Amino acid sequence: MEDLTPMTATKTARPTTVPFVPIADRRRMLPSVWGLMIAAAFAVLAILNLLPLVWGILTSFKGAQDLFRFPPTLFDFTPTLENYQRVIDSGFLGNMKMSLFYSATTVMATLALALPAAYAFDRFNFPLRGPLFLLVVASIPLSLGAAALLIPNYLYFTRLGLTNAWFTLPLIYTAHQLPMAIWIMKGTIEGIPRELDEAAVADGASHFEVLRYVILPLSKPAFGAAGVLTFVGSWNEFVAGSVMVDSPALRPIQPAIYNFIGFFGREWGPLTASATLAILPILIAFALLGRLIVSGLTKGSVKG
Amino acid sequence: MYSRHAGLTYIVPAFALLGLVLFSPVFYGFWFSLFRIQYGAPTDFIGLGNFLRLLDDPALGGTLTRSTVFTFFAVALTVAIALALAVWIHKLGERRGFAVQMIVIVPWIISTVVATLLFRWVFVNDIGLALSLARWAGFGDIRLLNDPTSAMALLIGVSVWKRIGYAVIILLAGLKSIPEDLEEAARIDGATGWQVFRRITLPLLKTPLLLVTIVLTLSNLNTVETPLVLTGGGPGNATRILPMEIFDRAFVAYDLGSATALALVMFIGNILLVLAYVRLAKWKT
Amino acid sequence: MLRRFGLSAALACAVAALGGAGPALAQETTVRMWTFLNPTGTSPREVALAKIIDNFEAANPDIDIVVEPQAWDQMTPKFLAAHTSGTAPDVIWVVTDFLGDAINSGSLASLNDLFVKDWSEDQVADRAGPYWDLTNVDGTQHALFTSRNYIAIMYRKDLFAEAGIDPATITTWDKLVEVAKKLTVKDSAGQVSRYGFVQGFSENQADPPLMIPYLVGKGAELFSEDGKANFASPEGVDGLTLQTDLITRHGVMPESAVSWTVDDVYEQFASDRAAMILGASVRVSTLQSQLGKDKVGLMLWPGSGQQEHSPAVMAGWAVGVWSKSQVAEQAGEFVEYMLGPDGDKAWVEIGGQSPGLGSTLDHLGDFANQPGNEYLRVVSTGSAKHGWLAPIEYSIGGYRQILNKAAQNVVVNGADPKQALEEAGAEFNRSHNR
Repeated sequence: MEDLTPMTATKTARPTTVPFVPIADRRRMLPSVWGLMIAAAFAVLAILNLLPLVWGILTSFKGAQDLFRFPPTLFDFTPTLENYQRVIDSGFLGNMKMSLFYSATTVMATLALALPAAYAFDRFNFPLRGPLFLLVVASIPLSLGAAALLIPNYLYFTRLGLTNAWFTLPLIYTAHQLPMAIWIMKGTIEGIPRELDEAAVADGASHFEVLRYVILPLSKPAFGAAGVLTFVGSWNEFVAGSVMVDSPALRPIQPAIYNFIGFFGREWGPLTASATLAILPILIAFALLGRLIVSGLTKGSVKG
Repeated sequence: MYSRHAGLTYIVPAFALLGLVLFSPVFYGFWFSLFRIQYGAPTDFIGLGNFLRLLDDPALGGTLTRSTVFTFFAVALTVAIALALAVWIHKLGERRGFAVQMIVIVPWIISTVVATLLFRWVFVNDIGLALSLARWAGFGDIRLLNDPTSAMALLIGVSVWKRIGYAVIILLAGLKSIPEDLEEAARIDGATGWQVFRRITLPLLKTPLLLVTIVLTLSNLNTVETPLVLTGGGPGNATRILPMEIFDRAFVAYDLGSATALALVMFIGNILLVLAYVRLAKWKT
Repeated sequence: MLRRFGLSAALACAVAALGGAGPALAQETTVRMWTFLNPTGTSPREVALAKIIDNFEAANPDIDIVVEPQAWDQMTPKFLAAHTSGTAPDVIWVVTDFLGDAINSGSLASLNDLFVKDWSEDQVADRAGPYWDLTNVDGTQHALFTSRNYIAIMYRKDLFAEAGIDPATITTWDKLVEVAKKLTVKDSAGQVSRYGFVQGFSENQADPPLMIPYLVGKGAELFSEDGKANFASPEGVDGLTLQTDLITRHGVMPESAVSWTVDDVYEQFASDRAAMILGASVRVSTLQSQLGKDKVGLMLWPGSGQQEHSPAVMAGWAVGVWSKSQVAEQAGEFVEYMLGPDGDKAWVEIGGQSPGLGSTLDHLGDFANQPGNEYLRVVSTGSAKHGWLAPIEYSIGGYRQILNKAAQNVVVNGADPKQALEEAGAEFNRSHNR
């Protein structure tokens, strides 16, 4: 309890006087065994999560001769930057730029489409509202399983002339991320008291103005949450990225990484170097938006 | 509240996009699956022929069962562990909580193939770190991928490992939003920690839990990369699950007709599953 | 495609309107090529490709070669789909598994019409061999091979020398087992620290298993005339038994090999954990860069009693011109150059590939005799005399995976080899609707 954050402390204004101390103590007794077990489990999880990461990063600094020494050693090798050099020489920064563009466009488009939709689903009553929202929920499988229909999808998009253009991937990614974003945002809007809209309407605001001046400012946290999930989703997407665009100038980052798991073998050096470079933007996004995620989803998903 | 059709205008752009990118391809895929597919091109109309051929495959039943078992355990374990972790992180301070959260999400932010390859190299491969240590410590050869049961257990484990970060973040966010005074009040009334969790916290987590369960179910049910990279479906058919079957039909045997048919059957199954979840959770839209 | 074409057509009109403002403004034709190599990359083959393109463009300033790198395992299926939708590239690399599909679908233009018709007899003879024959259907040349893969035994020269074994003594399958046993080393705790012979049995990334050279060497066929599986022939059963015995009876291959992919096996080899592996010629140069040039060699399979050497499975990538290409003429020019004498030399010298022209090795003179490069001759002899190519009259995708699964079933589930192969054959036939 001593770690209680300033944020939560101020928010909840907990009673602070003497009579509550024993209660707090009793609370600490029970969870302590439980907490210990979880801490132990977390230690295992930390090893499972960090060891491959550390190993991957170390590998990215190894030359060909040091890759497969047996038994494996963690630090006994001559570090080299040649893998990063190779990755960068192969045009990886260009792929990264493209992916940044795709992901950023996707995030903006997703948010721009999800907010009004979520607003409508929560605040309006229109024909088929329930079934349409279920359709949104039911389209989550379509985006998660889209790879299974790869070839028919490719034919479909080609016939419509939608492949191999700058908008191809943002279009596909936005559709993939939209259902989940609508869900998260609708949850947030549910948490915004309707009295606020009504007051604005009484002042003569149109429902678009309500969206713009009441709902939008209050859903910023949900923007952060849906935004980060969308960013990670489109940043790590591989199948559409490798099939739906052909031009080297349009190539996103994941196919460029997978290029190092090639027909002639997996090249761990450049593979781990490029994968390391690829997680940097995500880590930065999380470091910047980490708090936003928490507060964003907070309002987003609690009240059914 | 507002005019009956005003709301529709707000959802039209989103639905136009979903229709173009997600819904129509399914109809196109269905039309495609009604033809005999040769060299990637539809030729003769054969109606449900591709679907009927699926029924002739005696191995498909086993694959379906394995997919079900795999998905059930992967989802149940991920949700349970993620919930425990989220509760724990929630009680840590902001700094420590954030640090723990960053550690938890690591496998999730690395792309699946690279993450699975690294996991396999470090923990499973006999020239990797873990087994080299084990051998040094006197354990004999540990061959998790050689036994049907342990290979499936490992596949489940890696799927949990890969996706737990996502679940923790969404659940943690849900926890953060529960007003502390609710829990506090219950404690003052003499409720134990478990009772508070069971009666107050859990019901308020219903929506994030539902979201997490649905997304995890579908992503496990549709994953090709994890089993392909980790086990290749073996030993024998022990870890062969439906998405691998679709992938092999499409890209190894190059039988696009039955691959598309199977993919569509799976889509329908997925959608029914989602609707069943929503119904079971008595979740109101 | 159409838009590009329209654009260049518009450009051509503009040039014409200017009254031919000189060669600098001449119409530039764009030729698109799909391959899994990225010419901006720095692996040896990528550097070779970039050099070839540069040289070609320098000699043909009016042709612009645009490479659109693809994921190798989806590239050929995607090409066939793009052929259907009319958006395929002008030049395409086709993997042997799908070569039959590509030719039979009519997606590959006749190279005879484009350039082979102008070749001298010597030029044709320079390419003679199984790869040429495979891509020649009823007198029409549909593609030319660029990357030739000869899958035989890769071995550690240093370990053979250390044990005083001459690889040339492995003349029979029994001798292979004998040598493998000698090269298997145990540490003081009784655990095997190095295995004699290793191959991977995972269904992911499956190379053709040892049983194929075995059974083909004994005169059996892997497929029957109608494209059905003929896995469970007596020779097939013996071959599967031999390869699983290496694990269960002789202990020269680890049990974990049932879950190993091709790459896992190379990594074991690079870690000094295996003295011989089932290995592909295209990987020799990579392994040499990890272990040292003098340490990695390639040898032919042992003899079968009927043949001096059992035939190795050959595979690779063939390059063709899309049949509906609007710039087939220019695409053909590029293919001819890329796989001609200049191109072939670059592939060998820079890319570390084995030559496609008989004359290339002679032109390179000493190159093939340099230490470490002996394998190039092994591959040339092997592909000319001791090779087996999977049939292309019918589609055979998945046969290696299914054979590997049969081996897994024998080792892990204790299945009877004959029964395992019969099941594998039934599964193969079912998956191909035969």
